Amino acid sequence: MGNKQTIFTAQQLDAYQDCTYFTRKEILRLFYRYRDLAPQLVPLDYTNHPDVKLPYELIGSMPELKDNPFRQRIAEVFSEDGQGNMTLNDFLDMFSVLSEMAPRDLKAYYAFKIYDFNDDDFICKSDLEKTLNKLTRNELTEDEVRMVCEKVIDEADLDNDGRLSLEDFQHMIVRAPDFLRYRNSDT
Amino acid sequence: MTSSSSGGVFNPAYHDSETLEVDRRDKRSWTHHTNPYAGEDPAWWAERDDAEPGASSGGWRGGESFSMGLFSTSSGTNSWQHDANPHTPDSSSHYRSAAGLPSLMTGGMTMRWRGMAMRGMSMFPNADPTHAALAEDAIRSEVENEEQNLIKELIALSAGEQTRKIQELPQSFGEKKNIRRQVMAFKSSTNSHHFLCCTDCCRNMSLSFRRCGNGIKSARQTLKLWRGIMKEIGGRFGSSVLTYFLFLKWLLMFNIFSFLVNFGFITIPLLVHDLSANIPSNVSFRGLELLTGAGYFNYTVMYYGGYSNETLHGLVDYNMQLAYFFTIAVYMVLCGIVLIFSMASSFKKNYVLSDPASSRAWQLLCSWDFSLTNERAVRQRKNNLRVQLKESLSERAEKESITLSKELKQVGIHVGSWFLSTCLAVGCGASIFYLCQYGEEQAMDTAPWSLLQEAETLLVPFVVSLMNIVIPLFFSLFNKFERYSTHRRQIYALLIRTSSLTVFPSQCWEPMVGQALYRLVIIDFLFLMLGSFFGEFLSNVIGTKLQPRLGVPEFDVARNVLELVYAQTLAWIGIYFSPLLPAIQMLKFFILFYIKKVSLTRNCQPPRRSGRAAQMQTIFIFLLFFPFFVGALSIVAYTAWSLTPSEQCGPFQGLNNTFSVVSIWIHDLEAIPTSDWVVWIYQNVIRSELFYFLLTLIIIAIIYIFWQLTQGRKELINLLRQRIINEGKDKSFLLEKLQNLQKSQPAVAPSQKKIKVHSGRRSADRSSGSQSNSNAVVQVLLARQQLEEEDRRSASGVSVPSDISTSGALMQAMVARHRAERQTPEEHSSSPSPLEQAMAARQKAQDEYWTVTDADDINSPNRPPVTHARLREEEGQDGSSNPSSPASSVVIQVMQARQRAEEEERIQWAPAPVQNSASPSSSALIQAMLARQQAQNEYDDGY
Repeated sequence: MGNKQTIFTAQQLDAYQDCTYFTRKEILRLFYRYRDLAPQLVPLDYTNHPDVKLPYELIGSMPELKDNPFRQRIAEVFSEDGQGNMTLNDFLDMFSVLSEMAPRDLKAYYAFKIYDFNDDDFICKSDLEKTLNKLTRNELTEDEVRMVCEKVIDEADLDNDGRLSLEDFQHMIVRAPDFLRYRNSDT
Repeated sequence: MTSSSSGGVFNPAYHDSETLEVDRRDKRSWTHHTNPYAGEDPAWWAERDDAEPGASSGGWRGGESFSMGLFSTSSGTNSWQHDANPHTPDSSSHYRSAAGLPSLMTGGMTMRWRGMAMRGMSMFPNADPTHAALAEDAIRSEVENEEQNLIKELIALSAGEQTRKIQELPQSFGEKKNIRRQVMAFKSSTNSHHFLCCTDCCRNMSLSFRRCGNGIKSARQTLKLWRGIMKEIGGRFGSSVLTYFLFLKWLLMFNIFSFLVNFGFITIPLLVHDLSANIPSNVSFRGLELLTGAGYFNYTVMYYGGYSNETLHGLVDYNMQLAYFFTIAVYMVLCGIVLIFSMASSFKKNYVLSDPASSRAWQLLCSWDFSLTNERAVRQRKNNLRVQLKESLSERAEKESITLSKELKQVGIHVGSWFLSTCLAVGCGASIFYLCQYGEEQAMDTAPWSLLQEAETLLVPFVVSLMNIVIPLFFSLFNKFERYSTHRRQIYALLIRTSSLTVFPSQCWEPMVGQALYRLVIIDFLFLMLGSFFGEFLSNVIGTKLQPRLGVPEFDVARNVLELVYAQTLAWIGIYFSPLLPAIQMLKFFILFYIKKVSLTRNCQPPRRSGRAAQMQTIFIFLLFFPFFVGALSIVAYTAWSLTPSEQCGPFQGLNNTFSVVSIWIHDLEAIPTSDWVVWIYQNVIRSELFYFLLTLIIIAIIYIFWQLTQGRKELINLLRQRIINEGKDKSFLLEKLQNLQKSQPAVAPSQKKIKVHSGRRSADRSSGSQSNSNAVVQVLLARQQLEEEDRRSASGVSVPSDISTSGALMQAMVARHRAERQTPEEHSSSPSPLEQAMAARQKAQDEYWTVTDADDINSPNRPPVTHARLREEEGQDGSSNPSSPASSVVIQVMQARQRAEEEERIQWAPAPVQNSASPSSSALIQAMLARQQAQNEYDDGY
């Protein structure tokens, strides 16, 4: 109990609990994980909202992300500056969305952003190519990549505009019950 | 990350947010990817480059401000109004570095706020401060409006709902916190007016309640069985292996439940009544009983024989017979219900909604298992995906080249393997049958057995389990179809049961059957352990040390699940004969979990092929239900209905069959007058064939109705899908036309041409009807804009019916376009419909304005207010109305918009800003105002 008081105020903790899917305990645990990434940077007292940001290199080296081919994108999407540098708030946000408690709609929304590499609100062919290369370690020939991307767009694009909008994506995900179901939230 | 996420989950105004295609294209121009609309026009780009104001700071913001400058008011207002401009990573940094509005950027200001403010700034590249200030005001009020709406919605909800909604907002923590704070503040301020003390108290109470609830939540999480282990397995081996463990856990819970039921209602009363077990003096515990279940256990409450048929006289009379009967019956029914429901729900979730058509898209975008945290597993996954994609590419090529002879050959192989596996299964069943008969002859001699005799009873279960292990190997030789092995198991599980039941000439046959099942359960457990040891450990050793070619084994989910299902079936059958069998089962599963986990982590590698985990789970439950649970249920039911219970032991001794317990009970009840209704129910419902006949009829009718509903919906879905495709085609066609037009008319500054209706977050079951509705609106708009352009060129009044009834919208759009193309100068037609009038009114307003603005060669500013107001109006309609809204209301709306626009145009000429008080819909107003402001601005510049 004494520990909690020094890091966050009760109001802060309440706010965190209301805005994320975590309990008090998990928030503190996440805080310590955040702090462990750079103990010299992160203060132990968050009551006066210190402006601390951890660079992407540190975030990306976490065991949850380190092997994920999309780690850079995930960090970019969740960081407020878009560069992958994260404040504690961003960090909690990320884990909240990735936790298994988060509803599928929310996850789908962020997954869409993750796949949308060029941030144009659509998953277009270039995004798909990037995804494919990330997932298959550049081992498909260009022709194959092109064919697969065409197929994907063909299958998932409902309004035939040649790219996937958020609705197309969500529609596809509704039919993919596994989607992100067991996404990791190991706090 | 946050700006574009302002589309709240539940705010309908966001859902149909429109964006300017132009902005998109801006970005595309510097991200260098292809334009799907094929209208890549170098001249156009060049023109835009020329028009780019020098003050732009490059990057996205440059593009942004440029587009604003180019498209002037309407596009600008649009873009920030609807706020669907994506927030690129560098854009936010631009916002920050530019630090455009320091006075506004107070601590509580959200990212979206900033984004909008900046966009407001960039909208007026060379605006004087007063205008900028005005714009800021407008923007601020606009943003506040949006937030207020959201907050109002939140306030209307209960506290729990509020939290949930806030958690679901796709926004950054800072924004959520801000919204939450405002909601809280609002709540406390409204409350404090009235009952100051009371509300304070209430708030404290609710706060402490919430904290307490959170505490319980976290406690529950820590109590969740094997949570960490599950995570670890999921992280290392992926979801498909995890389903096995989830299934195991589910079965364990099931058995704990059944143990509690049986123990609570059957065993405890007996134990309370009479603690001393009546064990003969010459029987002692020898140790081997743990394996055989015979001997000592025979006289305990483990088996049917340990229970008596008397009524226990304690505080209340407890009829053992009834208790035994009803506990087992209710338990079986409950099992059935639980299974049916979990099957139905997972079927609905995983099958009905899923669509095999989009498998490749699924593979690419949805199949990535984000729970993987293990480097090797990730590598493996990547390899799999690559192989699968390649396979699916080659499959299609292969499909065409399959010849008739090949097909015949395949069918032959299938039939052959079916035949062989059926033969094997029948052979196994027969051999077990004869083995059982042999065992019975041995066992017929008198009680207390010698140790050797007792060990002999283990022969049958041993052979059965051995077969269970060996036979699948044969099958995998034929063909790697697990289907056969389930089929096989089903057959001889039944055979075992029937052969077990043939024991009954002996004086006390139920405990014997119970023993046989006990032995099966135990030996099965041993073999499961041995299987995971030899099967996985040895092949791991072989794979790593001796024969690297074979590789490390994979965890065979299907085989392991079948083993679980088999084990559970044994427990179900045994429950009548040995009520405490679930306890054994519980222990078994508990230990098995750890064994499997250790074996998995030590010996196995992540699976090479990943099935759809969720569908696998459905199959597991279905398997458990259909052949196995139904089989077990029918055996137990058969036993209870028609077999005569043994006469010397057990609760039902001396009865003709088990079910007669109920008729005896009813007979007793007839003496008690207050329980007439029970007797009546028994006589008229339970025992009447008519009742069951009617019940069956009703169920069949319901099934038929649902079936028809499904068919209808399927058809509807197909139709709607077709419609979406059609409308998409129309849209792209129109866009193409539009671009051609732009190319052919470089003199006319492009106005906002493409409006992409981009509906935001919708609920999963959103109807595609509304989407197509919005599409249609877009088309109408486009058509109309095109028309306007043509209008201007030909400088003649063209009358077009402007009906935007949703159903006919497409047709109308096409008609309008065609008419515009033909440029038939029609005079205001004589048709008296209000539509025409509305159109005419608009036309007039425009023409009137034209005459004035034409002089100073500025083309763009005249239309925006009109189009804009209309746009708003239509958007509002789109958000609120259902697809089948009557055309008349739409028309009225359009007319209103027209009127307002006209009004605005007139006001335009008044020197001072006029307060427009008439309209309550402020957002459209603000936009119109801004538009006017800028129009004026440009007008001034023109002079």
